[in-house]
Amino acid sequence: MIALYLVAAIAVFAAVRVVIEQKTGRKLPYANVMNFAVAGTIVLLLDHPLSLVAAAAYFVGSTLEANAVASTYAGGMKR
Amino acid sequence: MIVALEVAFGLVALLGAVSTALVRDSYGKVISLGVLVAGIVPFIVDRGYLDVAVAVSLIAPVVTIFVLMAVRRAEA
Amino acid sequence: MLGEFLHILAAATISWILFVTVDILFRLPEAGGVSGASAVARDIEAGGGALAGGTMMGNIVCSPDASAGTLLAACGVYVAGIPGGLAAALMVFVGNRICHDPGYAGTTGAVLATFVVYAFTLVGFAATDFIAGMVIAILTIQGLSHTHASRLLDRLWRIRQ
Repeated sequence: MIALYLVAAIAVFAAVRVVIEQKTGRKLPYANVMNFAVAGTIVLLLDHPLSLVAAAAYFVGSTLEANAVASTYAGGMKR
Repeated sequence: MIVALEVAFGLVALLGAVSTALVRDSYGKVISLGVLVAGIVPFIVDRGYLDVAVAVSLIAPVVTIFVLMAVRRAEA
Repeated sequence: MLGEFLHILAAATISWILFVTVDILFRLPEAGGVSGASAVARDIEAGGGALAGGTMMGNIVCSPDASAGTLLAACGVYVAGIPGGLAAALMVFVGNRICHDPGYAGTTGAVLATFVVYAFTLVGFAATDFIAGMVIAILTIQGLSHTHASRLLDRLWRIRQ
């Protein structure tokens, strides 16, 4: 039970850091911490084989999102 | 769900929504949308709708990629 | 209560050592695998960090690497034992390919972590300790201070060279 509270607290902390931080390149690592925490929460909330699939889908999806944002940002900086 | 967790993830979703509305930078808006989705997914999982959670977490990044195309066109 | 807390701290230390070792062995700090990783590295360096550590943090952001492998393998062991961990490794492999990353760090990390986590569940740890521990480990790298974390990773990378 304590694991679930800990992971939720880390998710809130990381979300606050994402919102406070100003530069895009430094927002992304905080968002990554939040995605780890939410993927852990999905499995800890519901012990079911499909919740592993849900956690993996959430994690891969959010990583793809961060990847797209970062590479678009890199392209925008080069120009 | 336990009340403390509901408060925590509700706070995350609310933070994402408010900062999406207030942030001026377009990349910042997209990242804040990600925070909004991260706050919503645990509520869907808690009710047991795992298939809905899979669908949401696959659709949200695709939407973000489409929004990013618009961002890039607006910048160029 | 206190015992569970100590278990989580021990699991955090074990998974920190595991994923940093695998990432550095697979040369993640050397170059950005995708163009987004080097953009993150540049912003971290502008904030006072080291470039090699920043590149590794950018690679962790942009593609599922050994840290993601460890988290999902711990989730898999919690849900379904060793087959669950190996299924998680397969999903990490697919995720790597979706994100245009040619490396094998994530898959290797997931397979290694499956056996490590399973071995520790036999000793008396719970798999949930490793899930929370991995989240704490990634918090110490990516979430507390980018400057200090990138300098620490840079120092470890010089030792490996």
